[in-house]
Amino acid sequence: MLKKYLIISTATDLVRIAPDKIVFISSDGNYCNLVQTDNETRLLTFQLGQIETMIHDQLGTDGLLFIRIGRGLIINRNYIYYINIQSQKLILSDVVRFTHTVSASKDALKQLKELIEKEAKV
Amino acid sequence: MKEKDIRDDEIRVIGEEEKPKFKGWKWLLLLLVGIVVGCVLYTVLKPKEKDQESEEVVEQGYYDPATVVEQPAVKTALAKAADVGHGFIEMADTTINDIPLKVYIPHEMRFSLFVGTIDRNDPSILFATQAADVRADNGGIVGAFVLEGEPLAWGLSKKGYCAIINDTVTVGVAENSPLFEEATERGGYFFRQFPLVDKGQLVENDVKGKSVRRALCDRNGELLVVETLTPESFHDFAQALVDLGVDNAIYLIGSNAYGWATDAEGQRHPFGCPDPPKKKWKNISYLVMKDKGKITK
Repeated sequence: MLKKYLIISTATDLVRIAPDKIVFISSDGNYCNLVQTDNETRLLTFQLGQIETMIHDQLGTDGLLFIRIGRGLIINRNYIYYINIQSQKLILSDVVRFTHTVSASKDALKQLKELIEKEAKV
Repeated sequence: MKEKDIRDDEIRVIGEEEKPKFKGWKWLLLLLVGIVVGCVLYTVLKPKEKDQESEEVVEQGYYDPATVVEQPAVKTALAKAADVGHGFIEMADTTINDIPLKVYIPHEMRFSLFVGTIDRNDPSILFATQAADVRADNGGIVGAFVLEGEPLAWGLSKKGYCAIINDTVTVGVAENSPLFEEATERGGYFFRQFPLVDKGQLVENDVKGKSVRRALCDRNGELLVVETLTPESFHDFAQALVDLGVDNAIYLIGSNAYGWATDAEGQRHPFGCPDPPKKKWKNISYLVMKDKGKITK
């Protein structure tokens, strides 16, 4: 079975990336920044909601890998390393090559924490 | 997938399947509209001469000649009538083609018709059974009908007829019968019903379903009323009458239509349902038999 890729195409360029190579995507006004596992960051000329739709439509169930957190973040759940609700800190890392710290609301992080806990029980 | 709003205090797993929305509303709506239109069309276009029994739809039966195993066990008993000294109804049970039948044989009876609510306590009425059909839409009598010389209904919806003129009862099948006019001229009676047997031949009718069936029959000049004890199709009933040796027969209202027969001992034997019908038909007609009052010895 062919590996699924997320393809983000504009009139002038195209990004093709494997889902597991995406650490997170953050909103930057009308654009977003895609942070890769190789520590590169790529500016995408799409709003975060549009990227979410692409992930859903292109990746199908593989899109389960990604979690939308609030209005500003899409994260790859495989790289959730640390959650601190009080300090509103979320660290995404593979503990080898990269470590990224992002911020989210307490409620969102609380829900994320519960989700991870719940899935761990299953 | 459409872009969905999200607040900062929410999270959402992106690839999670949304609960499938029911997309068949259009079809469901079309189906409902179709059913409604169908009901309306049926109501508007249904046959107007719908008789009282037409709702008893089950299935059409078929006659299998191989099942004719028993011969009719019904015999006349004129001598018995003479012994009794008054009119009565002889009742005999028989089975034709596996169809259990009750045969009512009138002795020294005067036939007539009655329209309206019959007096069930009238001791002079020794036999009564519903005769002509009543229209479900307007309560009118189906087919030509004459009561004591007065025509109450006209029309030929059914080819079977019974004429009672000066104590002579004629059962036959014809589109036009001069007996209708004769009944009006001579104070007689006349009604129409489905033909079942014509000169010994089965007459097919386009009536579906099974029900308790009754018929007025002429067998070798002797009049009989025959009733099935089980629900039967028109075809099977008519075939049983043919096998009973009936020359001519017309249908009488069957099912749970109430009636009774009085035996030689004066015992009344009701049939049908004694409860009045839910819908009161002012034009319910009865074939009535009363004691002639004289016995030829």
